[in-house]
Amino acid sequence: MGNFLKKDILVLLRDRTELMILLLMPIILIAILSFALRGLLGGETSDFHMDVAFVIEDDEQQGIVEFIADLENTGMPPEVVLELEHAVEEVKPYTMLEQLMESETVSDMVTVAELDFSEAEEALENEDIVAILTIPEDFTYRSLQKMLLNEGDGSDLLITVKDYGSIRTDAFINMIDRYVSTMNFETAISQTLIKLGHEEVLSGSEGENIEAQELGGVESISAREPVTSFQYYTISMAVMFVLFVGSAIASKAYVEKKQHVFNRIILSNQHPIVYLGGKIISASFISFFQLFILFLVSSLVFRTFPLDEPAFWGGIAVIAMILAICVGGFAALLTAVTVKYENDALNHIFAGGIVTLLAFIGGSFFPTSEMPAIIGTMGNWTPNGAALTAFLKWMQELDMNVILPYLLRIAVLSVILIASSILIFPKRRSV
Amino acid sequence: MLETEELKKVFKGKTAVNGVNLYMDKGESVGLLGPNGAGKSTTISMISSLIKPTSGDVKLKGQSVLKDPGIIRNVLGVVPQEIALYEELTAYENLKFFGRIYGLKGKELEAKIQEVLEIVGLKERQKEIVKTYSGGMQRRVNMAAAMLHEPELLIMDEPTVGIDPQSRTHILDTVRHLNQEKGLTVLYTSHYMEEVERLCDRVYIMDHGQIIASGTKDELKSILSGEETILIDLDRPYPDLVTDLQSHDGIRQTIETEKGLKLIVPKGSKLLGSIFQVAERHQAQILNVNVKVPTLEDVFLHLTGRKLRD
Ligand SMILES: Nc1ncnc2c1ncn2[C@@H]1O[C@H](COP(=O)(O)OP(=O)(O)OP(=O)(O)O)[C@@H](O)[C@H]1O
Ligand SMILES: [Mg+2]
Repeated sequence: MGNFLKKDILVLLRDRTELMILLLMPIILIAILSFALRGLLGGETSDFHMDVAFVIEDDEQQGIVEFIADLENTGMPPEVVLELEHAVEEVKPYTMLEQLMESETVSDMVTVAELDFSEAEEALENEDIVAILTIPEDFTYRSLQKMLLNEGDGSDLLITVKDYGSIRTDAFINMIDRYVSTMNFETAISQTLIKLGHEEVLSGSEGENIEAQELGGVESISAREPVTSFQYYTISMAVMFVLFVGSAIASKAYVEKKQHVFNRIILSNQHPIVYLGGKIISASFISFFQLFILFLVSSLVFRTFPLDEPAFWGGIAVIAMILAICVGGFAALLTAVTVKYENDALNHIFAGGIVTLLAFIGGSFFPTSEMPAIIGTMGNWTPNGAALTAFLKWMQELDMNVILPYLLRIAVLSVILIASSILIFPKRRSV
Repeated sequence: MLETEELKKVFKGKTAVNGVNLYMDKGESVGLLGPNGAGKSTTISMISSLIKPTSGDVKLKGQSVLKDPGIIRNVLGVVPQEIALYEELTAYENLKFFGRIYGLKGKELEAKIQEVLEIVGLKERQKEIVKTYSGGMQRRVNMAAAMLHEPELLIMDEPTVGIDPQSRTHILDTVRHLNQEKGLTVLYTSHYMEEVERLCDRVYIMDHGQIIASGTKDELKSILSGEETILIDLDRPYPDLVTDLQSHDGIRQTIETEKGLKLIVPKGSKLLGSIFQVAERHQAQILNVNVKVPTLEDVFLHLTGRKLRD
């Protein structure tokens, strides 16, 4: 096997065109896409800035005191009351909004000034600010009532803008919308969890995110590290271009068959499966190195990922390895068909169409969050899409449990690919 | 050591090989001759277990190769008609890869590689990429790759096409040497009659998928023992003269050659005089006349009505 691997690597290294496709092209694309589509991810938005004013009519501290006082009068069992009091600390609505505004992503984009209403109106009139967010009286109290006890109608945030529909105001409204849905969403979760008697989750912020994914997929923007466009496109181009290793290896197999080298190998009395196994190993190895090189070069040139975090890179390596094996599976299947029918049409279809399709569905060109939900769902079932999601989630959360389901999908697909290639590959002779 | 029983191969309704029986004893050197499309390569592929016969079998030391291709693969070296090499790798890298799939390694492999490179005379240029070699050099590496693992049986399918005469002589001498000193069994296909004459003890002649003659070189030549060959060199081609001679009583065959004509006539027939007369009539200028005993080439021509090479 080492012999086959060495030979395959040598053959590939001598093929300039193939190397360009596998290494140079993704790097160029990473650069182009990252610069061009920066805004799409909201990661690097330094040139996009707005000032807003907050008019605060609420007193958070007092709201909390009132809420707790109410709680103690409801006659709930003392454990529950205690639990809810803890919960309040975790979900203080205004504090969360403040945290959001101070978070790295948002604070780059939005500068908040606390003004009283008349000052704010004047600033808006002078176009010193683009929007006023009014936090009404009893906001904290009413939100908590709604969130934790599902009582009352909650509370509304009021946004006042001057030119409705401009990009900036839209962006701000959007941001607040997302905050609100996050709150509503957490409301839904906390209530579900109270019903389920799952108290610990209320206080643990780690558990929250996992549950969040399963309950509805509304993204909580407050807890995440933002993804830069360089990070996004490094990963998405890497998971796309790694697929080309599959067809590259299979088209080398076609040449081997065509130029009768394959016959020589068969004549050496090697079992055909050894040959196929060699292809799987070669493709996996080469894929892994390709991913490694792309991540490394991107980190060195664009400072995409921090180079001094072994734990981070460990997880990246695990995902890359599983994806690489899956590419080995693609290589095996393509090789089996190519050698059996002595025809490399499928390779061309794969490299020329299937990869692009997989890349599109899997979010390599645009984040799937910008596309209809169905594509996102389908995308997470493609090996590249699942790997992309796994990479992103690992980057943000560094939690193996979160990415495990995605890795499992890729692994299952690999097994299917390899098994079918073994079924197809000619067993003893070539005819 | 090896025999084929009624080997037959049909490709999509087209019969390429039609009931071939041949045998080879251990240590023998056997030639397989035939014009293009005769079915030589197909026969060789069936013998070496690369393609499955439509019917018939190949037996190695009495065992069916069809049932267990492994038995022949273990003792076989094949020089295919095509260049079966990795173009992007150097000669050395190719040989190293092929040696290792046969389980050779380390010093032994290294020694073997240098040995076969010596035989084909490419030692100095072994580190060059195969793609950049001349056609003849590629052929030589193609041969070297089949000899690495010291096969008992070496099958060569037109291995010397495009190799210059000097290297060819060297290679043939080496194969002959291996055959005579080490008991290597050789099956040799070629269009170069002189190679077969030089290398092979016994010859099969094949045409249209069938063996049409076989025997030792002398046995085959005796097929033509009643004939002789007259070579006539002319200053230029005379098509009418050819037509005339073809219909001439007593001349069995008239073939145009590069220099002039080749006539096959019954032995002892005193035809030269009348041939000169015909030539005179066509005002053909005769430069040279040569009367020869038949060669294998002539036998081949006689049997197939075709020249070996066009
Ligand atoms: N894979 C194939 N499919 C269909 N026809 C084939 C195939 N291989 C060979 N043939 C046909 O079988 C016949 C014999 O071919 P083969 O290659 O055995 O001839 P050959 O004697 O080796 O000729 P040459 O001297 O040109 O090498 C030819 O007519 C050829 O067209
Ligand atoms: Mg042939």
